[in-house]
Amino acid sequence: MPQRPRLIANPTRPLRSARRQRRSRLLAVRSVRDSLLSLAGLVGSPVRNQDGDHIGRVTDVVARWGGEEPYPAVTGLVVKIGGRRAFASMDQVASVGRDGVTLGSARFDLMEFARRDGEVLLGQDVLDHQLVDVDGVQVIRPADLYLAMIPGPDGSILRLVGVDVSGQTLLRRLGPKRWRGLPTPERVIDWATIRPFGSEVPSVRLRSSHDELRRLRPGELADLLEDLGRDARQELLASLEPGKAADALEEMDPEELEALLRETPPEDAAALIARMEPDEAVDALRDLEDEARRELLDHMDPAQRERLSDLLDFEQDQAGGFMTTNLVTAPPDQTVAEVRDRLRSQQDHAGDLDGVVVVGGTGELLGDVPLYALAIASEHSRIGSLLPEGDAVSVPAEAGITEVAERLIECRHSSVVVVDENNLPVGRILADDLLDALLPERGRHHFPRFLS
Amino acid sequence: MGSDGVKPLVPSLDVGTAPVRRRRKWITYLAIAGPGIIAANAGNDAGGIITYASAGSQYQYRTLFFMVLVTVGLVVVQEMCARLGTYTGKGLAALIREEFSLRLASFALFFLVVANVGLVVSEFAGIGAALQLLGVTRYLSIPIAAMAIWALVMFGSYRYAERLFLVLSLVFLTYPISAFLGHPDWKMVASQTLLPHMIASKDFILLGVALIGTTITPYMQLYVAAAVADKGLGPDEYRFERVDTVGGAIIGDVISWFIIVATGAAIGKSKLALTSARDAAQALRPVAGSSSVDLFAVGLLGASMLAGAVVPLSTAYAVSEALGVERSVSRSFAEAPLFLTLFSGQILIGAVVALVPGNLVNLLISTQELNGIITPIILIFILILANRRSLLGDAANGPVFRVVATASVVGVSAMAAIVIVQTVLGWFGVG
Repeated sequence: MPQRPRLIANPTRPLRSARRQRRSRLLAVRSVRDSLLSLAGLVGSPVRNQDGDHIGRVTDVVARWGGEEPYPAVTGLVVKIGGRRAFASMDQVASVGRDGVTLGSARFDLMEFARRDGEVLLGQDVLDHQLVDVDGVQVIRPADLYLAMIPGPDGSILRLVGVDVSGQTLLRRLGPKRWRGLPTPERVIDWATIRPFGSEVPSVRLRSSHDELRRLRPGELADLLEDLGRDARQELLASLEPGKAADALEEMDPEELEALLRETPPEDAAALIARMEPDEAVDALRDLEDEARRELLDHMDPAQRERLSDLLDFEQDQAGGFMTTNLVTAPPDQTVAEVRDRLRSQQDHAGDLDGVVVVGGTGELLGDVPLYALAIASEHSRIGSLLPEGDAVSVPAEAGITEVAERLIECRHSSVVVVDENNLPVGRILADDLLDALLPERGRHHFPRFLS
Repeated sequence: MGSDGVKPLVPSLDVGTAPVRRRRKWITYLAIAGPGIIAANAGNDAGGIITYASAGSQYQYRTLFFMVLVTVGLVVVQEMCARLGTYTGKGLAALIREEFSLRLASFALFFLVVANVGLVVSEFAGIGAALQLLGVTRYLSIPIAAMAIWALVMFGSYRYAERLFLVLSLVFLTYPISAFLGHPDWKMVASQTLLPHMIASKDFILLGVALIGTTITPYMQLYVAAAVADKGLGPDEYRFERVDTVGGAIIGDVISWFIIVATGAAIGKSKLALTSARDAAQALRPVAGSSSVDLFAVGLLGASMLAGAVVPLSTAYAVSEALGVERSVSRSFAEAPLFLTLFSGQILIGAVVALVPGNLVNLLISTQELNGIITPIILIFILILANRRSLLGDAANGPVFRVVATASVVGVSAMAAIVIVQTVLGWFGVG
């Protein structure tokens, strides 16, 4: 209802207009309601022949999905006639309404229902099962599905148009039978934004375009992955590009990630981990049991395996245990322009790059040039000339959290370089990594199913 | 694993608030111990201990054979739940919503909630009884404990308190030792365990239902399916998971068996019904001597506080999962109103019911009887799910298993039915 303005001289006019608006809204709701057909109501409703004789009941509705159509067309009904489940294709059906189904042809062939490619039983496979609402970024369980006649080139076709997720609808389905067919479209989600992952239907090809999924941020994908059941999340994972999938995994709750990696085939899991940022990958590996970790490492290419194994050797609370190994290093005589070019190629790791590490002839640390200094320097100057004055601040890879924190404060910088025993730079710790290590985990409390 | 069921719960809460990068050795240990062993030991919470103690007190060793039958039932049920979790990757509540009509699903869910609310009541009764032994009136202790549990969970520091409760509840590990030191008549213990016999008295059957209710708890079935699915265990690993589940069920019941033996040896000779927690504590006298009451109180407090948080959480979780709404506890009420309302509501109801004047031990046992009457309802759903080839494929119950499982469910249902009929007849003054 529109907000009624207060303190008005003549209250009747606004009141009347408010009433009018309310009425038109109710009319709109009613017309939407009249054009929608509730699946929960349709299932169990009577089937009549042309003469109006009752011959059976609807037990389910068959729709075909896949392809490019946003709204799946209903292809037929499963009808129970005298104890047999038969299939009535839509061309045998004259009308489908709230009071039941009327068959068109006088003769009705009893065909056993056999699922064809791409067909789903809406009642059995979709209603009450998990779906992904890409627009609202949430996992939902439909309380009802709505069908509507949609005009098209070949005449009007009954299509699946929406998903109802309101609690009120659940109550309606629990109530007496005459309530069941009455659509209550209060909270309805457009079917075009729904992705039915993990549907138990064999050989259902999802709509090939996954534009909506591509639009989601990694954190949102992580939420979806956490909330979906096993088969569904494997399907969602498989439909993502590997880079995007790895980004999403980085955002997941560690316990959920552990379970996800365990249920994913090792070669796929290894490929995903290899694409994660090294520090996140190490975290994920660390949470796994020894055997599972070894298996994943075995499936990686040798260079990758060695890099991660080295990191795994550090304790979790040592500098080496939570640093990132993404470093851009440069000799002091390289020009700023050259360095900038190299930075440009590192876009994927932008979050980890906080400076350019300048190294000497044997690779030893000379200093760390902050990005700001690099940004304002002239293109032709040598990077060595940008080094801050004084000794380079660094922490040994074995340093504990406290020491890292002290050094970070000392260098007045948002990150600190990690070196090995030979003063060779091996990684970088950003202030936010340190926060992560110091603070209890933030974000959602999961009371998942109790056990890690 | 300890005698105390609540242990399982530990990791549960861990999840939310753990400093991620800290090494958690003992949790790793628990994780390896597995969902099955943890779930089965959850039977030995406050209600469990009092019910087993009551059995030992009133009938000495005569209920021991009954524990053998209950163990068979427990093994069968927990195995089915673990199998459902492993093969479908879904929790029990979600499966019930997907596989049954909405009416049946809400029916099952309703009773699940009732059973769990009963358990929460029993946990608060346990807290009250424990602190009464230490000299604190329950009219003070229960409200404070309820607020403490609620606040600890809502504000995320439960994890630390949980460890304390866990350690406290390890006290009950002393029961087996106590049983040996109490010099029970082992010959009689053996014959009562191995030779089946029933006593056709109303009280005995009622106690039998309470024993079923506290051992084969709907809450544990929810837990094991969910924990298995959540750990990402798949069909390949099922062989190990089955060992864990079956082994866990047996170990949990062996400890329950020791509780009955220890209590039977200590106070069973009088064959009087158990009326106070102080009497139940006598079973620990062989180990603790004069401080047995304090020891028992500490253990009971730990076990009750642990389960007092975890049972409401698991209920809220199951309902949210079935309804398909936000299942995690987010920080804000706006994000997960249903979850938090369910959680808070159960604590409130649990605490208020436990405050109603009356004997706490009787209240504890009544809640287990309630669980025992509801258990068969949930078991029937589980049995149907585990029989379904469309759901489990080749992992569905085979013909032999189906007979055993059906027999277990029928047996448990028959006991519950007798109690219901007796109660109803009692209302009309018959029987």
